[in-house]
Amino acid sequence: MNATGPRRLRPGRRTWLGLLMQACIGIAWSQEDAGADEQHVKAAFLYRFTGYVDWPDSAFASAEAPFTMGVLGADPLYGELTQIAIGRKVHERSIMVRKLAPGEATGGLHLLFAGRGVGLRPEPPRPLLIVTEVDGEMPRGSMINFRLVDRHVRFDIALDVVETAGLRMSSRLLAVARKIYRAGGA
Amino acid sequence: MRRAVARLPPTTQAALLAVMLSLAPPAGAAAGSGDLAELSLEQLSDIEVSSVSRRDQKLSEVATSLYVITGDAIRRAGARTLPEALRLAPNLQVARVDANQYAISARGFNNAIGNKLLVMIDGRTVYAPYFSGVQWDQQSVMLDDIDRIEVISGPGASVWGTNAVNGVINILTKASGQTQSWLARAGGGNTDSLAALRVGAQAPLGGSVRAYVQAQRQRHTRSEAGATVADGSHREQFGWRADWLDAGDGFTLQGDAYRGDADDRIGAGTNLGGIRTSGENLLARWTGTGAGGSKLRVQGYYNHERREDRLIYSPNDTVFDLEFQHTVSLGAHQLDWGGGWRHAKDDIRPGLLFAFVPQRSSQNWRNLFAQDDVRLSEQLTLVAGVKLEHNGYTGWETLPSLRLAWTTAPEHLLWASISRAVRAPARLDRDLRLPPMPPYLIAGGPNFMAEVARVLELGYRAQPTPSLNFSATLFDYDWSRLRSGQRPPNAQVQNMIEGETRGAEFWAHWQALEGVQLSAGGTLLHQNLRVQLGSTDPTGPSALGNDPSSQWQLRASLQLSHRQTLDIGWRREGALPNPRVPAYNALDLSYAWQIGCGLELSLIGQNLTDRRHPELNAAPTRSELRRSVFVQLRWSS
Repeated sequence: MNATGPRRLRPGRRTWLGLLMQACIGIAWSQEDAGADEQHVKAAFLYRFTGYVDWPDSAFASAEAPFTMGVLGADPLYGELTQIAIGRKVHERSIMVRKLAPGEATGGLHLLFAGRGVGLRPEPPRPLLIVTEVDGEMPRGSMINFRLVDRHVRFDIALDVVETAGLRMSSRLLAVARKIYRAGGA
Repeated sequence: MRRAVARLPPTTQAALLAVMLSLAPPAGAAAGSGDLAELSLEQLSDIEVSSVSRRDQKLSEVATSLYVITGDAIRRAGARTLPEALRLAPNLQVARVDANQYAISARGFNNAIGNKLLVMIDGRTVYAPYFSGVQWDQQSVMLDDIDRIEVISGPGASVWGTNAVNGVINILTKASGQTQSWLARAGGGNTDSLAALRVGAQAPLGGSVRAYVQAQRQRHTRSEAGATVADGSHREQFGWRADWLDAGDGFTLQGDAYRGDADDRIGAGTNLGGIRTSGENLLARWTGTGAGGSKLRVQGYYNHERREDRLIYSPNDTVFDLEFQHTVSLGAHQLDWGGGWRHAKDDIRPGLLFAFVPQRSSQNWRNLFAQDDVRLSEQLTLVAGVKLEHNGYTGWETLPSLRLAWTTAPEHLLWASISRAVRAPARLDRDLRLPPMPPYLIAGGPNFMAEVARVLELGYRAQPTPSLNFSATLFDYDWSRLRSGQRPPNAQVQNMIEGETRGAEFWAHWQALEGVQLSAGGTLLHQNLRVQLGSTDPTGPSALGNDPSSQWQLRASLQLSHRQTLDIGWRREGALPNPRVPAYNALDLSYAWQIGCGLELSLIGQNLTDRRHPELNAAPTRSELRRSVFVQLRWSS
């Protein structure tokens, strides 16, 4: 009944497949580091920002309370940030990184990163540094917004929002920012 | 024996396995985040990063021949049915059989019982399991609620499973939170008319809900000989969708119900009645993000379809489907894995021509899949995947694929893939009988096996400037064990056609000016299929489909003023060889005017340069599709 029998690739095509696969593997191993991952760089920035921002003591429950970062909807970055947090400190406090579920309350956080496509909820001003990555206009409520400019990660700062929240930013951070927005315009 | 045939040759299989197992991230492929954290702000600012983030899945970096029809494009083109909306995809062949029936395929094998395309509406597979094809007259969606239609030409089997041999159509509606306004649409013309209403509301616990109802009528067509074809029809459908979503995560519950009826057919002195259809479905889906950014999606649905056709056969089938998918990122790897189970129960009453023996059946399918998306370097991504799917006829089928994507420059992607795809046997291949009572002239083959395709693809997709993007794909299929017949009487369905199909697909969009968007697309197809030695198949490959060797389309979307738009579409469909259908050109115009207060008036003309033309089947009884003019009023709050 089975007139076809087990079918094999024609020899020519088999070589073709083999070559393509070898090429895949070859390229995989020969590739050197050609550039960094955007999410790695952003995670490193987030950690670095903390050194140039002052949080009031009232933002922490106790002297031993950890510095808490929350990540909303940016899975790769969350992974990177957890790696960075290991063994490092912010203002002499250990770092805790939390993955936030959408809609989860941000109480207890000191830094919030909202990934692309995640909307910010309006919140009363409090010492929480809010960082976003939106290509268009700086979103309402955002204090630092990452932008990709010529394959470099740059950021804008909304200084009035930062100050209203009760945070203080060092002039070094402002000097590196691409744009600084103040109340009433850039 | 059969199982051995279903496998890849050992050398290929071993090589695939080797590739999948050995893909640990190359040492030092990217600087670790730990090291970067030691850099200063200025140093960080100086680092050049990959301009494309793999996980965003921007269209420009998808390593497959994917065309997206947006909801807006459907509306601007003035499409009124789902198959007509699918004509917007240059990588699909859409042939209208009569007022209600369509044959839709990608990369050939198109006919009204086409079976190599997987079609889903919001994750619900809509092909009829008894013939692994789609009854297009039973599929409808409120077109205003469509977010987008993703049309993948080419195999998607390693993720989507058997039947995703030549393509996958994924119809996605908007979440109900995005359709909270009221919408009413009514229109009529010389070939069809419609009325639709949709309402949106808040649901308890922070959710949202919408409901719609729509009614459509199609006027009968005429055959090439000038006779009235009994295909005038009406169809009513209602449905709803409720979502409790936050940033895409959460719970969705949705359902639809419909019924349709076509004109009575008089044949051989008896009234055969019309083709009467009805059905209902219910789907629940939950998506959540876990610790470490892993994503879990769990979905279940119920789909019930009835079709009364006293000439052919009358199926009544129910499908229960459960599936889950888990996505987790591990360094340079993104791993997707999941599984599913499907149960189908049917009762297919014999028609005048055909019967299914046994008349009733109950079938189960189960599957497991895993796909590893490895970022080898900033420019190179490899996707290795395999799906194992079990069916009651041929046991486990193995569906592997390997894709390599190379970002040659920002927004330029060169990709290649190798896959094996399978069209698993359906009831039609095994259980069909002609005539319905013995002695049979033709019968399903008790040994009918899966049809197999080995596919190579090479593609290039680019967006050289923000206003221009294009995609080109070459494909090469090596087919074996395609369905064949035997010389009647006592003919059985066999797997004795083989061959190759090759071709190209391309399209481009250009935003020429603000308010002027131009697009062009086309496909080329070369088929070389043959009946194997020892087969007595009297029909040959023409029973598998009737395909044009080329098709082309051009579209212009013009914003005439801030209240007026004009869309001009032209397409040329090449001639079909067997039975011969002449090539045709069709010019479509769609003009819309925003009157104000949410009211829009549109005027839609189709096939304007052509009084009438057939798109499939043999003269002189085939239906001809005539020029149509349609006026429509649409209101949204």
